[in-house]
Amino acid sequence: MLDATAIATFDRFLFAFTIASHIILVSMSIALIIVISTAEFISLRRNDTYYRALSRRLSKVFVIVFGVGTASGVVMAVELVTLFPAFMTLVSQTGAVLILYAEIFAFFLETISLVMYIYYANYLSKYAHWVLSIFIAAGALLSAIFITMLNAWMNTPNGFDAAVFIQSGNVTGIDPWAPFITTSTFGEVAHVLPTVLFAGVMLVGGYFAWRHIKSNDIEEKKMLTKGLKIAAALGIGMIFLAIITGVNEITTLLQLQPLKYSAIELNPTPGTDLPEKLFGTLVNGQFHGSIVIPHLQSFLVQIETGITSLPGLSQFPSSTWPPLYVHITFDIMVIGGFALGLFFLAYFVDWAFLKRKPYESKLFLYSWVPLAFVALIIMELGWVTDEVGRQPWIVYNVMTTQQAANYNGGFLVPGILIIAFYVILLPLTFYFFSRVFNSSSMSEEEKKKQEDATGTGVNY
Amino acid sequence: MGAVVLLLFWKQANSNVLEYIVPIWEITGTFGALVVVMGDFAYPTLLIPIASMFAPLLTVFLILFVARNASIAFAEFIIKRKWLDRVKLYKLYALSTLFLGITFLVLLSALVSGVGVNLAEGTFSLGAWVSSPGSLLFVIGTLGIGVGVAPVFFSLNLMKKIVLPLTATGVGLSVLAYYLYSPSFVSSLMLVPVTLTLLAGAFFVASKKTAAIVSNKAIFITILSVIIFSLQFLVYPSAMGGVINVDAVTTSGPLTPAYLIITVVGGVMLAIMLWFYINITMRSKRHASEENK
Repeated sequence: MLDATAIATFDRFLFAFTIASHIILVSMSIALIIVISTAEFISLRRNDTYYRALSRRLSKVFVIVFGVGTASGVVMAVELVTLFPAFMTLVSQTGAVLILYAEIFAFFLETISLVMYIYYANYLSKYAHWVLSIFIAAGALLSAIFITMLNAWMNTPNGFDAAVFIQSGNVTGIDPWAPFITTSTFGEVAHVLPTVLFAGVMLVGGYFAWRHIKSNDIEEKKMLTKGLKIAAALGIGMIFLAIITGVNEITTLLQLQPLKYSAIELNPTPGTDLPEKLFGTLVNGQFHGSIVIPHLQSFLVQIETGITSLPGLSQFPSSTWPPLYVHITFDIMVIGGFALGLFFLAYFVDWAFLKRKPYESKLFLYSWVPLAFVALIIMELGWVTDEVGRQPWIVYNVMTTQQAANYNGGFLVPGILIIAFYVILLPLTFYFFSRVFNSSSMSEEEKKKQEDATGTGVNY
Repeated sequence: MGAVVLLLFWKQANSNVLEYIVPIWEITGTFGALVVVMGDFAYPTLLIPIASMFAPLLTVFLILFVARNASIAFAEFIIKRKWLDRVKLYKLYALSTLFLGITFLVLLSALVSGVGVNLAEGTFSLGAWVSSPGSLLFVIGTLGIGVGVAPVFFSLNLMKKIVLPLTATGVGLSVLAYYLYSPSFVSSLMLVPVTLTLLAGAFFVASKKTAAIVSNKAIFITILSVIIFSLQFLVYPSAMGGVINVDAVTTSGPLTPAYLIITVVGGVMLAIMLWFYINITMRSKRHASEENK
């Protein structure tokens, strides 16, 4: 039999695995619907068959990603109760539950709009059909915003008397609306949205690039090129926003979660002239395996935030330190982001100043495919850094993850089954994604479209 | 309802059933999420015992839910390749939905009767649940009603013969299950769901005219809602065989008005969206019937 700590560790692993799988689907869903909506709008304005074919194909793919994503969202909602019941009890006794409740209505907006968009396209005008895609995107983005709000509340809890709760376990002094706007909400939402959209756009664009390389069909290549144009434009915009909001997040961390900052930067002691450490860890207060660049950390923070005095781990009891590997996950995230930034900078220069066509360049196409996985990895690592960096707390300075966990070992076997199920399901989803996207040629699709008597909107 | 019909009568019934299931499976899944969150809000103090008792069962439920969504999403756009085709995927959808329903019924019966539940220790014994005489009758009876009234909802004239025998058997077994759980459940209020269920079946087989009335989706869903509400009041305000007083564990205090505000705003938004949805489905039906003429 497993002891209580091992069961709690399994709880954490199972939820981490579920959410790590779920955010891949979420990022792809958000990116897909924005690409679909953009492609459909351009096809309407220019009467462009390639953009029309692109939006039509991606719409089918979207249903698959949405269907699996919806289910995995419900898995998460139930797992929050089954794996961390004390946490969900606190959420349900404070206004934080209202964020989840509001999210459901955003989800309805997305779902009902999607159903009309997909199944009743023939009974809508072309522009009404396109407007529905905006509603789907709005629903998807609002869902993401609400769930990030809940995460921000976990980082900076408010809306109840935390001191009384810690003392007695009673929830008092409830302000139901406060959890919607905590001190970290705006910054976190502003950073999470572009990074999630960026990762999704990179994955979708990576798929277009890969198909472009593999395909011998000139018509299909033209369609994929149009898709790459949209993906690149979104990618450039989103990485720009991600960098700006990422810098803002550093300021927020310094002010609101200095311990997390200290762990992420691997600062053993506070100071005003601290070095930047790449990788490595701390052994007996000494850096081990790090590349140390003197003065750089303080220099960068001062430029970015104006703050000169930086915190260190020694200011906090070691029992409250998060696992220090968050320093490594953070470094990989930053280096990966830097590489992606360089890629899009080169892309932009090639297009804007050298007046070339990077979306048709083999160098860019071949680079995009591996960089799509880099984008996925850095999104996942960003989330790991945020969540593991808050440990041992599930609700910062209020409730530890151990206090929140469910110690019933009865779901170890079903939990392992869930993991096994996801291991099969995710590749299967992408397999079906690919099959559905390539199920017919451009010419076949156009012929089918013209044969349709009504000929409005996207017709299945 | 549709799951068993798809599994047993695929050839005869798939077009009628899929016509209703395919455009709305995404929406029904979202209502599932709504129920989870409303449960979180309404009964916060029950979350820890429920998580402790039902975590394994809920985990099985989740696997089935993902299988349901994935299989129908794949089935919609699949192009036959080797052994895998849409029929197999739709049947996988039906199978996972059926087991999802059974899992839900096990959970529901435990919540209603408290059979297999040890609240003090935070455990649920499936063995104890199965060995209780009411449990299997509850599941079989409910499934009987579900399959019995399925032809009514999906207007499946081919399956008219099974409607009354299955519905009546299902109703009988369900009433017996409630009685075995607690004789106090079988009060005069029980006449409402029993009568309405049997009347729905009788209307469907009586004549084409009455069948058209009861197969009307709005009327069917209204009857179903009345049945569910009346069943709820058989048990209310107790749960788990009288161990829990529902009123005592329901959220109250400053969260309630905020919850009400979001419910009103979100509910109005949802009503408008559903109105658009119904409007467009009616338009598609009119269009289809005009084309047939």
